[in-house]
Parts: sequence; C-alpha cells; structure tokens
Amino acid sequence: MHINEHPIMNNHFNKDITFTYQGQTFIAREGQTLAAALFANGIKKLGVSRKFHKPRGLFCANGRCTSCFVTVNGLDHVLSCMTLVEEGMVIEANNSDPTVRSGQN
Amino acid sequence: MEKSTIVCRCEEINIDEIEIAIKNGAQEFDDIKRLTRCGMGTCQSKICMNLVRKIISEKLNKPLGEIAPSKMRMPLKVTRLSALTKNIDLCIEEKATLEEGEQTSV
Amino acid sequence: MVKIKTDILIIGSGPAGLNAAYTAASHGANVIIVDEAITIGGQLKQQTQILNNLPGEFNSQRGFSLVDDFYERLKSLPITFLLRHTMIGIYKNNSIGVTNGKETFPITYKKLIIATGAAEEATIFPGWTLPGVMTIGAAQILLNREHVLPGNEAIILGFNEFSLEVGKQLESCGVNIKAIVAKGNYDVELFHEAKNVGIRVVSNATIISATGVNEVEKVVLNIDGIEEEHMVDLVCIGNRLSPILEAFEILSCQLAYQEDLGGLFPKYYNSLETTNTSVYVAGNAAGITNIGGILITGEIAAWNALYSLELLEYSQFKNRSRALWEQLYRIEESQVFKARIAAIKETYKDESLALPPFVELLLEEC
Repeated sequence: MHINEHPIMNNHFNKDITFTYQGQTFIAREGQTLAAALFANGIKKLGVSRKFHKPRGLFCANGRCTSCFVTVNGLDHVLSCMTLVEEGMVIEANNSDPTVRSGQN
Repeated sequence: MEKSTIVCRCEEINIDEIEIAIKNGAQEFDDIKRLTRCGMGTCQSKICMNLVRKIISEKLNKPLGEIAPSKMRMPLKVTRLSALTKNIDLCIEEKATLEEGEQTSV
Repeated sequence: MVKIKTDILIIGSGPAGLNAAYTAASHGANVIIVDEAITIGGQLKQQTQILNNLPGEFNSQRGFSLVDDFYERLKSLPITFLLRHTMIGIYKNNSIGVTNGKETFPITYKKLIIATGAAEEATIFPGWTLPGVMTIGAAQILLNREHVLPGNEAIILGFNEFSLEVGKQLESCGVNIKAIVAKGNYDVELFHEAKNVGIRVVSNATIISATGVNEVEKVVLNIDGIEEEHMVDLVCIGNRLSPILEAFEILSCQLAYQEDLGGLFPKYYNSLETTNTSVYVAGNAAGITNIGGILITGEIAAWNALYSLELLEYSQFKNRSRALWEQLYRIEESQVFKARIAAIKETYKDESLALPPFVELLLEEC
C-alpha cells in the first residue's frame, strides 16, 4: 500500500505512472524503485529460487542479496531494488534462468 | 535450529550440508564453498559469509576472528557480459585487463 | 569513451563519502564519487529520526535533511557524481573498474577513499527466505524512502536502538508491531522506552519458524520456553551491522578483526590509510560507529589524502588532524574508539613501524 500522508516527510512523489507485472496493469509513483512499486501493489513474491523453486522477494533493499531479481522489458535478472519504475514498463517474475541467447544481437 | 534451515539463499545450502563439510575437514568459508557451492550464487556470499563463518567458529570452537572470509572475485556485483566487453579494445590497448588482486589475509 | 582521471576517487556517497568529498573538494582537489544508488546520501536518505551526535559544524537534524544539507554544500564544488555506477573490480594498473550497466571503464586516481559503509547481518531460521521477511533497514527504506507500507502486522527480530527506532516509525505509519523479539538480556533503558510507546518486547525469546505459501503468513516464537503463534505479513530482521569488505579485498588490503568494530574490517593507520598505499577507508567501513564518527572519519581520510597530495601545509594539516581525532574521541562511543585505537596500534605493530607519539597519547587518554 502507498503511504499518502507520511507522518514526518513531505510527499516527494508528484506523478503516478502505470506499469504491468505478469500482464496485469498497476499504478506506481514516479521515483519509486520497481521493488517498492510492486510491494505497494501487494506483490511480494518476485520470483523463485533456482534449485528448489521457493518464493523470493525483497530482502536487503540495497542491491546486495539479489533476491529481488525481475525481468524488465525482456531483460532478465534486473535488481528491482536498485532500478526505478518507468511509464509502461513490462515487468515479469524471475522464475528461471535465461535461455542461452542465439548471439544475433 | 532445524538442520534443514537454509544458510545460503542463492544456492540453497542448509545447515546440515555445511556441518557435513566441516566434519569433512572444512575450516574456512572457501572450504565450505568448494565442497557445497555455498556462496557461489548471484550474491557471491555477501549475505551468507558471516553466517557460515559463525557456524564454523562454533563447530570448531575457534574464535570468529580466525575464520577467514570468502575470497572475493571480480566482478564484485552482478554485471552483464555486454557491459564487461563493451570497451574491451581500449582495455587491451592500455594493457589493463581485469586481473585479480593478491590473496587477502586476515 | 573518455579516459577518466581524478585526484581523489571516493567509493560511496553516504555521509562518510560526502563529508570526505566536501573536505577534499573545498581544498582544491578534483573529486569523483562513485555510487551504485540512484541518489546521494546512502542510508541517510531514509533516516527520519533526529541525529543528535553530529560534529559541531552540522545542525542537529533528521538524516534525510542532512542529505539536502550536503547537496547544498557540494553543488558548487568541483565534484563529479557518478551515480548508478558500481565499482566491480580493479585493472592491472590499479585503476578502478566501474560499470553503469551498459559499459565498464577504468577510473585512474591519485588517492582512493573507500566509504562503502556497512551491511546488515542476517539471522537465519526456517522460513527466513520467504517474501515479507526482510532486514529492518529494508523495511525502513520502503517506509521512508519509497513511502510504501511494508506490511500490516509485524514481528521484529532483535532488540536494539535501531530496531526499536524503526519499530516506532513503522507504528507511526500504521503498522502493528506485535512484538520485538529479544534474544537474551536487553538494555533496561531501551526496554522502558519501548514500554512507553506501547511496543511489546519479549525477552529470552527466539523465532522457531516463519511459514506461508508465497509469502510469510505466520511465525512461531519460543518465549522463555512457551510457544506463541502470530499471524503476520512482515518479519524484520534487526541484527547488527558489519563493514562491507569487497572493495578492500579486491585491492589486497589486509583485514583485521575487532568485535567492537563490527567484525572484520580493513586494517588502517591513524591516517585511515589501509595497508594498500593510497587507499583510505572512512565511515562504517572502518568500523561500525555512530553518525558523528562516520562524518569525522570521512573528514580525517580526506585531510590525509589531501596532505599526501601536497595540497595542505604541514601545520594546517597537523592541527586539523589532531582536532578531528579529539572530536572523534568525544563523539564516538568509548568502546568503539578504544577498539579503533587498539586496531591502529596493531597495524603499526604488524608492519613493524613505530607508533606515532600522537596515537600513544590517544591510547593513554582512553
């Protein structure tokens, strides 16, 4: 849930933007990280672990633990805690290792 | 604590696996790493290093300060190969290829 | 690609890095600051509590407003900010390898100040990998930096000044803190502080497990031998901090261990130079301390780097250095300061160097 009235800080977000996660559209505030934007919309599970496929989500929020990987506009393994959400972003869960690319790009 | 509790989040190595490695002679973090893959995942032991050092310290009854940390390797953070290779020509030209530092000792 | 060169390169734009940058740039050095975050300030950005133990030149204020203060101080100085840039290694010629995610390039420096700060230690229990289980610092980031509620019903593991502070901040935004779990004995004063704000602290307690399908739903606690169940959607791990070491390790700086400094840290002299010449350490990376200690060590490192670049007169350098160490002595918790001085003494001993009379004096004082 977004906090509308923070008890101490001024609201430093002035613009709402939309993004999609697993095909569904959500609203975030410009200036938020992907992890926060997803969390605000009740999405805590951002993917699964590699070996046992257990749920993973935000843990350290500082770009260290790598538990919050998501796929952004087709680019896999993006740290959602260190990346800002942008208008129209297409975000998907990190549910598997990437397929090996063909090398044409 | 339950022996099945995960210690390394990335490679999903549990207490039991670490204790077995210690029984097999592991004395520092990198021994555990070589035996179990603990700390070899995407975070490169940033979260589990001190957890593992603590288990070793308790099991071997050695002060925590004597348990060596993991040997960090480049790149220090998750980095795309495309980002690493973009300026490779310049780096070769400068004879400044990425090379690992000397062994760190405590 | 441009070849980047600078007098002083600073890794980390938290309070230590910013204060080092301010000191260095206002004395004629060219400065580059590298930080992987989106904005400057490090962990100060989400500190809403009032910081009291700041050095004299700063007004007592909240952490996030101190970042604004720094921004004002720094904007007219010759400092290049490389935000969203991560130090990922070193080149053979000792340049620092930095990436912005698209390319990697070297930065050549005369002096390097590493102010990478500290990381929160984890606590393990069955279910700690579930979404909804996060460090207390992560919960504070969501709350104060992102203005997002990290949960509705929470348990905090670990009872200390910081976990209680964030607990209070969470409550003020409407999160119900069901309990703060204290392992063994706790600070009585802190306990009363919690009681006064109506936060329950359970002592002699541990967490048995956290469970849930896709995210945490329930925790089971063991409170003095009695099991207690709580339905929660947030579990915060409020453990201690330890210095972040990767950059030092890759630069072959030797490490030492001091419990009172947060565990392993890079060895250093009273110049805050590590065992790798021209590499300095500042802030929590040099041992976990309070905000005052973080700011002052940033300045000490910068003065020493400036002096070795011959940008300062000896008398000016000497007087300021002494004043800073005396300030550090007053502002830091005495056990941290003692551990720091003891560590410096060890470094001199290990390198078979004579301890400067000034450090001996400090040793005697504490």
